[in-house]
Amino acid sequence: MQRKNNNSYNNANESIKNHNYPGLISAAFRAKLYKELLTLLYKANSEHIGSSLSCLDILTVLFFSEMGKADKFILSKGHAVPSLYVILYFMGKMSRATLYSFHKDGTTLPAHPPQNLDRSIPFHSGSLGHGLSLSCGIAESMRLLTPKNKKAARVYCLISDGECNEGQVWEAAQYATKRQLGNLIVLIDKNKLQAFGRTSDVLGDSASVEKWKSFGFETYSCNGHKPEELQKTFDTIRSRNTMKPKVIICDTIKGFGVSFMENKLEWHYHRLTDELYKKAMKEIDARYEN
Amino acid sequence: MRTEIVTEIILLAKRDKRLVFLTGDLGFNAFEHLREILGKRFINAGVAEQNMIDVAAGMARMGLHPWVYSIAPFLTLKAFEQVRNNICHPNLPVKFLGNGGGYGYGIMGETHHALEDVAIFSALPNIKIFAPAFKEDIPSIVKIMSLSKTPSYARLNLLQTSGIKKFRYGKLRKIREGKKLTVIVLGYLVHNVLKGLESLRQTNAVDLWCVTEIPFTLSTPLLNSLRSTKKLLIIEEHGFSGGLGEKILAKLMKKKMNINTFSHLFARGYHSGLYGSHTFHLKENHLDVKGISRQITRML
Repeated sequence: MQRKNNNSYNNANESIKNHNYPGLISAAFRAKLYKELLTLLYKANSEHIGSSLSCLDILTVLFFSEMGKADKFILSKGHAVPSLYVILYFMGKMSRATLYSFHKDGTTLPAHPPQNLDRSIPFHSGSLGHGLSLSCGIAESMRLLTPKNKKAARVYCLISDGECNEGQVWEAAQYATKRQLGNLIVLIDKNKLQAFGRTSDVLGDSASVEKWKSFGFETYSCNGHKPEELQKTFDTIRSRNTMKPKVIICDTIKGFGVSFMENKLEWHYHRLTDELYKKAMKEIDARYEN
Repeated sequence: MRTEIVTEIILLAKRDKRLVFLTGDLGFNAFEHLREILGKRFINAGVAEQNMIDVAAGMARMGLHPWVYSIAPFLTLKAFEQVRNNICHPNLPVKFLGNGGGYGYGIMGETHHALEDVAIFSALPNIKIFAPAFKEDIPSIVKIMSLSKTPSYARLNLLQTSGIKKFRYGKLRKIREGKKLTVIVLGYLVHNVLKGLESLRQTNAVDLWCVTEIPFTLSTPLLNSLRSTKKLLIIEEHGFSGGLGEKILAKLMKKKMNINTFSHLFARGYHSGLYGSHTFHLKENHLDVKGISRQITRML
C-alpha cells in the first residue's frame, strides 16, 4: 500500500527491530519523540508520565502514518496530553517555546487538553468517559455531511482501559453500533493500571475483546508499542471496510521505555528528578541506538 | 407545548438541512411526524442522556445544528458535566429543549421536576435560557434559538395564548400597566398572575412584567415602575437559590434601588411531603391563582 510520508524525520535507513513495514517509524525518530517527551515532563515537573509513555507509540503511528487530513482525533484520556503536545510540536503545529510553556503559569498547554488548540484538539478533555460520545457525534456528522458518492472521513478516539469503568463509554458503544459508525475507530491504551490499582483489581477488565465484541464492535488486538503491527491493523480495517465501529485493543506498558517506570502505578504521580531524568534518557538512547 | 415546538421545528428542518434532532427516547404521540420528515436526521439516542449530549456537542463542532430533547432534569442534572465541558465552555450552538420546567411533570414525582434548572444553566457561560410565557412566544424563541451561535435552553411547559391583539415577543415585557405594585414573573406562570388579577377589586394596581429570557437586563421602564411603586413581588416556579428572584435582587442592589416592600413566591420543594398534579404543587407553593392573588392583595 502506498503511504503518504508526512514524517520529515522518517529515515528508512534507521529501522526498528521486528518490523514488517520497513521504515514506517524509524528508531531514530521514535528515540527523538521519547526523549522530547521525557525532557518536557522533566522540565515541567509534570505528573502522568507513565500514562503519557504508554500511548506515545499509538499517537506516533496515528499522526505520522495513519490519519488523513480530514480525519479527526479525540484524546479521551486527557491526562496523557504531554504525548499529544510533543506530536503536535513535531508536526509543526506549535513552536518550541509554546511546547515548553506546558504546565507553567500563563500557558496555553495545561495538564489536560485545552479545546481547539490550532483545531488539532476539537474538545478539551480530562474528565474521563466523554471522548467516545464526542467521537460518535463527529463520526455521525462526517457521514451526514459527506455526499453519497464519497467516503466519509474517520474519527480516531484514544481511551484508556481504566476509562472503560465509566458508564458513558458503554452508552456511546451502544450508540456507535446502532448507528453503524463504521468510520469510528476506538483505540484502547490497555496498560492495565489505573489511578489507584490494577484494572483487574478495581472493577475488572472492561477493555476485554469479549466485552467490546458483545457491544457489537469489530475488535482487533495488537501490541501498542509496535508501530508496524498497529499500522497493519489499520490497514486490515481499511481493507475490510465494514459498517461496524472498530476497536483496537492495544496492549501497552505504563511507563514504556524506561525500566524503572514500566508497570509501576506510582509513575502516574511521580515527577522526574535530575538523576532519574538522566537515567531515563540513557535508557532511551540504549533502546533505540541501532 | 411540544406540538407548537414540533410545528416550528418541522418548518425549520425543511429549510435547514444541517438540523439534527436528538431525543432521549421520548416523544410518544408528539415526534412521530417529525421523525418521518427528518429521516436520518432524527435520532433516538436512547435512555443515555450523557452520551446524547456529547454526541450533540460533536455534531455542533462539525457544523451541524443539533436540537436535543428530554425531560428538563435529565438535561440539566444528569448530563451537567457534558453540558458544561463540551457545549457551554466551547460555546457550541446546541439547542436544548427541556420539557416540564418546575413541577410540570406533576404526579410523576420529584425526579421529573426541574426546580433548579435555571440556577444550574445560568451558572454556565454562554448559554441563554428561554422560559416562554405564551403560545405565541414559541415561533420567536425557536427562531432565536435556531439563529443563535451560542448554546440555548428552552424550559417548556403547557402554554396558553396571550389574548393580546398586538402581540410582541420580548425578553422582559410589560404585560399590564399599574401604579401600586410591580410584579415580575418568570415565563408561563404569567397566566396564573393574569387570572389572579381578574379577581382583584382594584384595576390598574399591578404593573406586571414577564421575564422570558435569562440573562436579561432591567429596562429603564421597569426601573421607573419600581421607583414609583416601591413595592416588588417576584414570582417563579423555581427554587430560591439561583432563581429569578436572586438575579433581580442582585441587579437592584447594583442600581441602589430602594424598595419598601418586597415579597417572593417561589418553589419551596416538598415541605408537606405530599405529591400530586402540577396544579397541586403550584397550590402547595402559593403559585396557583389563589395564592398569587392573595399575595398581591396583601401587598396592595
